Formats: sequence, structure tokens, C-alpha cells
Amino acid sequence: MSTLLLASGFLDDVWSFVQDNADELAAGLRRTLQVSLIAILGASIVGITLGAARAYRLPVISQVAAVYVEVIRNTPILVQIFMLFFALPQIGIRLDAFTVAWLAVTIWGGAFNTENFRAGFEAVPERYREAGAALGFTRLSTFVNITLPIGGRIALPSSINTYISIVKNTSLMYVIAYPEITTVIFQIQALTLQTAEAFTVLALTYLIIVWSMSALIRLLEAHLALPEARA
Amino acid sequence: MIAFGPDWADPVVRYVIETGLKNTLKLSAIALVGSSVIGITLGTLLTVRFLPTRALIRIYIEIWRGLPILVTIFIVYFALPTVSPRLRFDAITAGAIALILWGSAQVAETTRGAVQSIPREQHEAASALGFGWIGRHAFVIMPQALRRLLPPLVGLLVNIIQNTTIVQVIGAPEILETAERQVERLTFEGQEHAIEIYGAIMVVFFVISFPLTRLAAYLERRLA
Repeated sequence: MSTLLLASGFLDDVWSFVQDNADELAAGLRRTLQVSLIAILGASIVGITLGAARAYRLPVISQVAAVYVEVIRNTPILVQIFMLFFALPQIGIRLDAFTVAWLAVTIWGGAFNTENFRAGFEAVPERYREAGAALGFTRLSTFVNITLPIGGRIALPSSINTYISIVKNTSLMYVIAYPEITTVIFQIQALTLQTAEAFTVLALTYLIIVWSMSALIRLLEAHLALPEARA
Repeated sequence: MIAFGPDWADPVVRYVIETGLKNTLKLSAIALVGSSVIGITLGTLLTVRFLPTRALIRIYIEIWRGLPILVTIFIVYFALPTVSPRLRFDAITAGAIALILWGSAQVAETTRGAVQSIPREQHEAASALGFGWIGRHAFVIMPQALRRLLPPLVGLLVNIIQNTTIVQVIGAPEILETAERQVERLTFEGQEHAIEIYGAIMVVFFVISFPLTRLAAYLERRLA
């Protein structure tokens, strides 16, 4: 009983924490979503372009893309953020926190997405491409009309996983003091000392976003499954 | 330690390797062992058809997999001590706990799949030989499941090694933190070497991670 009272008292504290800081929290959440959306869009463009270059083994671009993918995947994203924000000014390149925030997760997500889409495009059966050629499609229109929609669907679950990681990684912008939700909540708790309430709200925020995106994967997987895979 | 290179580099290399790299490797090893032991146990228990434990393990997995590791580190390092003073940890311990929470959730999910992929006949044959639940899983099912677990565990090791850098935010002297201290010291002395130092850190991580990601890919192909 006393534990129950304690728990309900804590929930009240959490709720009043949200009400007291509603404006800052909303602004932080908006920046988290904004940076995530830009990066998801950017990583999709990078992933589809370079993934196609890898799958079709386009000379030079394919090799450069391979190096990009390996460097990004085999180094910590936090060090990449440090490089962009703290090291580049040494050679006169000064990026503001917002630019580094979306750029870092776009570069990171783009590398993972290149692999997702490469695998997706390579999984499209050869006979589909041959059918396109037989219908008189050029290589480009075969890609746009056949390989991209089918391979994109195959790559969808793994690319959404990458997008989930992008959202989670925006929390790292705390180190460059970009005021997304993690930075905002950390600063509020440093002032108000409502540590437990603050981190409960922070955790719930991410869990709601991440769990919604995971649910979206399951929904899309059922909805967009290829007719052949369904059988 | 090295006799070549510019003057400023010598103490940097010494500090970053002797303190930073040592702590990074220690943290990675603890996190790998902790994540594997807890994750394999939870993942195996998840295959038992008993609703309350399954629900609890599910919640554990979804929470620690869903949270950014940075947030988990904040919870362990800043929020737990407000619950009880006995839950106050130094930065490296807090980092290790956070990495284990995240890593064990990853391992548990993979283990569940690996255990369930072992044909039912194996369970039945082991039971027929007189093995109880624990003996059956420890001596018959797990050795076979481990073959399937190996590639994702190597992949996890790569992720653990890279994610140890996030402990930098609470000041644990792992490789990135030691590098940052050196960059700041040099800046204070009027020298700018951030690109060289952070660049070298990237090279160190690449040299460790790249062979491991190749190994994971090779194991996956061989076991497929």
C-alpha cells in the first residue's frame, strides 16, 4: 500500500515536471524530431544512390562508397561528431551545432542505409531485370520502375531499423550542447534537481518514439510484403 | 613509447594508450561478458512457456533496446543514486552497467531466435536420455545454439567497443575522454591538434573493428 502511494506520488511529480517545463520540453522534442526527419530523408537519398552504385558496381563511385561505408561503420559515431564539431574548426571549417547535429546522423545513417539498399537491390531476382530489358526499358528506367520499388521494399525493415538508430543517436548531440530533448531535460534537471522525474520523462519520450517506429515496421512488413514472399 | 613523430605527440600517445585504451578494452571486456551471460540466460528463459517471466523479460528487452545508451548511462549514473545512496557508482562502473543493460537485451533477443531454431527432436532426444531442463539446455541445446549466436556476438562486440565512447559524457577516462583531455591541454598551451588526435582515435577504432566485422561476416557465411 505504501509502495503504491509512493508510486502514485512519483507519477504526480513526473506529471508536474512535464507541466512546469512544457514549453522547453516541446521545443526540445521538436528539435529532436526535426533533426531526425532531415537525417532520415538524407540517409534515404544517400542510401538509395550509393546502394545502387554498389549493387550495379559502378566504377569509382562503388569503391568510394565502399570505403565510406567501412569507415563510418567501424568508427564510433561520437568520435565522428567530435571530428565535425571540435576538430574541423582547426582547418577553418566552423559548423554550428544544428548543422553538425543533422549532418552527423545523416552521414552515419547514410552508410548503414547504403548497405541496407545494396542488399535490397541485389535481392531483386535477375529475371525481373531481364523482363525490363525485354520490354525495351533502358538500364535507368529498369532501375526506377523495377529494381527500386521491389528492392526498396525488401530493404524496408532494415532501413527502418537504421532510422530508429538515427533517432536514438540524435541524443548524442548533448555533447555539442545542441538543445534537442536530451540536452534540454539534462539542463532542466541540473537546475531543478528533479533527477528521477527528468530522466523518467526522457526515457518515456524515446520509448514512445522507438516503440511506435518498431510497430510501424511490423505493420509495413505485413502490408508491403512481396506477393512471392507471402506464399 | 614512440621515438618518432612531433614533440607534442609523445605524452598524448602515452596517456591515451596507457589510460584510455586500457579502460576502453577493460570496459568492452566486462560489457561483453556481462551482456553474454545475462543475455543468453534471459533469452533461453524467454523460450519457456510461462507468461509472467516471458512478459517481464520482454519488457526488459524492449526498454533497454529502445533507449539511447546515453539515456541509460544518465539513468544509472544520475537517477539511481537519488533512489538509494547504495546505488551510487563511479563513472566506469555506471558505464559498464549501462552497456550491459543494453547489450544483454540485444543478446537475449538473438538467443531466443537461436534456441528456437534448434529442432524439437533435439529436446525430445535429450529428455529421452534423462536430461532435465537445465541439463538439456546446458549440454544439448546451447552448444548448438552457440554456433548460430557466434556471428551476432562478434557483431555485438564491435558495437560494444564503439559504444564505450559514450561513457565519455560522464567523464570516464576511456579513449575518447583521454583524447579530449589532451586536446584541451594542448589548446590551453596554444597548440591545436584536434584533427590529428581525433583522427588517430578513428584509426585506432577502425583497426580494431574492421577485422572483427570481417570475421562476423565470414562466420555468418560459413555457418549459413
